[in-house]
Amino acid sequence: MTSTLMKPSLGYGIVWLWLMALLGAGVALLAVPSKTLGVVLIFAVATVKAVLVLRHYMHLRHQPVMIYLMLAIPVVLAIALTIVLLPDIAFR
Amino acid sequence: MSATGQVLGSASAGEAAHGARDFAAQPLAKVGVWWFLASEVMVFGGLMGSYILSRIAAGGWLAERAHVNTRIAIFNTIVLVTSSLTVVKAHAAAEVDDRRGTRRFMLMTVLLGCTFLCVKAFEYSREIEHGFTPATSLFWSFYYTMTGLHGLHVLIGILINLGLFLLAGGEGWQRARRRVEYAGLYWHFVDVVWIFLFPLLYLA
Repeated sequence: MTSTLMKPSLGYGIVWLWLMALLGAGVALLAVPSKTLGVVLIFAVATVKAVLVLRHYMHLRHQPVMIYLMLAIPVVLAIALTIVLLPDIAFR
Repeated sequence: MSATGQVLGSASAGEAAHGARDFAAQPLAKVGVWWFLASEVMVFGGLMGSYILSRIAAGGWLAERAHVNTRIAIFNTIVLVTSSLTVVKAHAAAEVDDRRGTRRFMLMTVLLGCTFLCVKAFEYSREIEHGFTPATSLFWSFYYTMTGLHGLHVLIGILINLGLFLLAGGEGWQRARRRVEYAGLYWHFVDVVWIFLFPLLYLA
């Protein structure tokens, strides 16, 4: 069986601890006085958590570039779709 | 450190690393799983994008959002993130041909998934009890659609993991062993979706 499971640079348990710490950080950001800044930071933390899962648990960092592209294209499309529609729907 | 989590199989570390990054060398089933996950990105991405746009257009939905239970959601997030740890441990155990370890971690994943769904059902029942149904407002419609679709994915993941757990217990161990990684990829994706749903619905 061809293995794609590489020794993680961070142990799986350590990644879990980081995810828990970031969860706590995300919740703590509710206390940020500026609503806009708070929301931006909360989603920045969520993105870091997602990257940790993708890189270390899904082993994306050991996958071919094509796999990255396969995932990146719909992510970019979904974000672009939202941004493109923003002026028309949100600020009408 | 145990053998779990190390480079496995007959290939050396260098060969395994090279093979893992060669797209042509990837098993078709694995590429298929990644394709499927890519299509799922559009499903959830479109739904989240629609939610964000509608929310901005409606002026924030802060009053509606105040009625969701953040504590329950935090608990469920811990449960789901922990299940991601157990499923990757199952994968690691499968790679070293550790049947008992694989089954143990698969079972833990199934139980954590069931816990997530039970807590979600409890949360739904409380919300419906307080009069917040999908018909109450656009926020609640989005809320039930997004969490419901996510919950459906969790349920499918539980069934897949349970199937592999049972398969690994009998003659099908070698077949189950190969599939643990694919089931894990799906389960992690479900976790990633929740990582974004949680702040969207409960924090922002």
